[in-house]
Amino acid sequence: MSILIDDSTRVIVQGITGRIGSVQTHWMLQYGTKVVGGVTPGKGGTTVEGVPVFDSVEEAVRETGANASVFFVPAAFVLDAFLETIEAGIKLIVVVPEHIPVRDVVKMRSFALERGVFALGPTTPGILVPGKGKMGIMPASLFAPGRVGIISRSGTLSYEFAGILSESKVGQSTVVGMGADPVVLRNLADILELFQEDEGTDAVIIVGEVGGEQEEKAAGFISRKMTKPVAAYIAGRYSPQGKRMGHAGAIVRGSSGTVDGKHEALRAAGVEVLESPIYVAQWAKKHKLR
Amino acid sequence: MRLHEYEALDIFEQNRIPVPRRGVAETVDDAIRIAGEIGYPVVLKAQVLVGGRGLAGGIKSVSNPDELEEAAESLFSSEIKGLSVRKILVCEKVDIAKELYMGITIDGYSGQPVILVSTEGGVLIEETAKTSPEKIAAIHIDPSFGYYPYQARTLLRRLGLQQQLITTWSDIIGQLYNISVRYEALIAEINPLVVMPNGGLIAVDAVLEIDDSALSRIRLPLPDRIERIENPLERRGREIGVTYVDLDGDIGLISSGAGLGMASMDIIGQKMRPANFLETGGGITADLLYKCMELVMMKPDLKAIFINVYGGINPIHEGAKGVVRYIKEHNVKIPIVAKALGNRQEETWEIFRSGGVHVVTEAATEKAIEKLYEILSGQRG
Repeated sequence: MSILIDDSTRVIVQGITGRIGSVQTHWMLQYGTKVVGGVTPGKGGTTVEGVPVFDSVEEAVRETGANASVFFVPAAFVLDAFLETIEAGIKLIVVVPEHIPVRDVVKMRSFALERGVFALGPTTPGILVPGKGKMGIMPASLFAPGRVGIISRSGTLSYEFAGILSESKVGQSTVVGMGADPVVLRNLADILELFQEDEGTDAVIIVGEVGGEQEEKAAGFISRKMTKPVAAYIAGRYSPQGKRMGHAGAIVRGSSGTVDGKHEALRAAGVEVLESPIYVAQWAKKHKLR
Repeated sequence: MRLHEYEALDIFEQNRIPVPRRGVAETVDDAIRIAGEIGYPVVLKAQVLVGGRGLAGGIKSVSNPDELEEAAESLFSSEIKGLSVRKILVCEKVDIAKELYMGITIDGYSGQPVILVSTEGGVLIEETAKTSPEKIAAIHIDPSFGYYPYQARTLLRRLGLQQQLITTWSDIIGQLYNISVRYEALIAEINPLVVMPNGGLIAVDAVLEIDDSALSRIRLPLPDRIERIENPLERRGREIGVTYVDLDGDIGLISSGAGLGMASMDIIGQKMRPANFLETGGGITADLLYKCMELVMMKPDLKAIFINVYGGINPIHEGAKGVVRYIKEHNVKIPIVAKALGNRQEETWEIFRSGGVHVVTEAATEKAIEKLYEILSGQRG
C-alpha cells in the first residue's frame, strides 16, 4: 500500500504543453502513472505524449474521470489555476512550480483546507510510489519499492535519502515532498498522520531544514500519535544566517527554527536524529526495515 | 526585497501614517542643509540593510551644525556590520512619552497574516517576547474573511489601553495592514511607534520587506533588487538567476537544490570549509552551469569544486556540457568532483569524465566529499 497515490488515481497535468510539463508527462507515463489528460487554456483538442489536452479542468474531469492534478503552470497563473481545479472537484493537487507569491499561497491554502482538498507544495518534487506511479518530477532511478515512508521539505534531499536507502536494499512505501516555501499547502504533521495510518509503511523519515517551525510542531504530533519509528535529518547547521531585519518573524516563531532547537524537540518526541544523511542506512538496518 | 528605511517611510507617509520631517543625505553638506531646513535637534540614521543598526552605532542624535558635521563624517567613513554607509537619513527629533511596537508578518505554520502589537516598543522587543510574552498581543487574519477594524480594536483592548489611544492606534494598524497587502510585504513593521507628549502617534522607524516573487506585479518606482546586493559575487549570482552566498572557505559548491546545497555545506564543513553556497533551482541549462563555473571560479584561492546535482526537473546532461566547456576553455587545473544522479545519469557521467571531472555514482553526498578530501590530501602528500 501507499499514501495519496494508488490504483484509482487518475492524473491530469496542468500546463502540459509547456517545456517542463511535456517532458515530465513523458517521465510520469514511463513510470506507469495513469496520466489521463492535460489542461492548457487555448490548447484544447491537441495531444501531448498521446494524452488529450483540454481547455478547462472541468472539461478534463468530465471527459477523463480525473481525480488528481499536478501543476507545471507558470508561477503567476498558479493561484487562478488552483482555484479552478478545486471548483472542478479535484481532491489531490501537487503544485511543483517555485517562486509563487506567498500571499497567493496563503489564499490557496485557505481555500484547499476549507474544501477538504489535499494539496502539496509549492516548490515540491511531488509524490512517488515506487513501482506504481508518480505525480511530479522525482527521478525514478533512485527509488525502490518497500515499506519506509519519506517526507521531505527539500526536493533534492528526498532523492538523496531514497537513493541511500535503495542502495542499502531498503525500499520506500511513498516519498512525499511537502514543499520548500515558507507557507506550504499542507503541514508536516498532516502527512505524518497518513503514514501512521498506512498499512504499507513501517517507519518514517523526516527530511527537514533550518527555519520555520514545521519540525517542532510535528514533534508534538509524534509524541501524541505516532507508534511507528521516526528518524529525522535537519539540513543547514553551517548555513549562514540571513541578514535579518524586523522582529515580527522572530516574535511569531519564538525559539523555533534552529537546527539545535529542532533536534531537541524531535528527540524529546522519541525521534532518532540523524547528524548526516548517510546514517539513515544504519538506522534502517537497526529497525530491520526493508 | 528589503527597502531602506527612507523608502519605507515615504510609502508609509503616502498611506497616511504620521512620520517625522526628514531628508536623505549623500554628503555631509547635504546633511547640514537638510538639518537647517528641519531645525535642530535632529537624528542621523545610517541607511544600511541590517538589523541592530542602533546598537552598532548607526544612529546619532545632534543638536547643532558642528555636532552634525562630526557625526555625519564619522558615519560616512564607518562600516555598520560590514556595510559601508552611502546614505544618511536626517530626521526631526521627536519628543517621546512612550514607545510602542507594531508588526505584520505571515505566520508560516498557520499560513495566515498575523498582526503583533506591544506597549514595550524599542530595540529589546524580541527579549520582551521571550521574557514577558503577555506584553505582546497577536491576532491572526483569516484570509477568506479578511481584515476589519474591530480586530485591531479588540487586539489593543487586550493590552489594557485607554480608548483614545485605541482609536488612533487602530487607524494606523489599518493603514499598515493595507500597505502590507498592497506591497505584498513579508514584514511591515514600526518599531518604535512613538507616543508624543501631546498624545499623538508617529512612526520613527519603518521596516518593509517585499516578497521577491511578487515584485513583478507591484512595480515599485525604486531601484531594482540586484543593485541592492552589496557583494559583487552575490550580485552576479542574482544576475544569472541562481542563489549564491559568499563564504570564507576554499571549496567551491554548485548544487541543484537548496536542501542538497545546505546538506553539502554541512558535510564539507566537517573537515573543510565551503567557499560559497550556490543553488541553481530548477532552471539548469548548459549555459547556466557554464556561468555558475565562471562565478564559482571568481573566488580567489579556490582549492576544489564540488558539483552535486539531481536530474529530476533539471536536464543534468545539459548542465554537464556547460561545466566541461568551461573546464576546456579555461584550462581548469583544480580538482572537480561531481555527483549527478537521476534522469540520463549515465550520459551525464560520460560528459563529466570527458572533461576530467571525478564522478561519484553513489547516492550519499558523504562518499563524494570523502573522495574530494582524499584527492586534496593526496595532492598535499
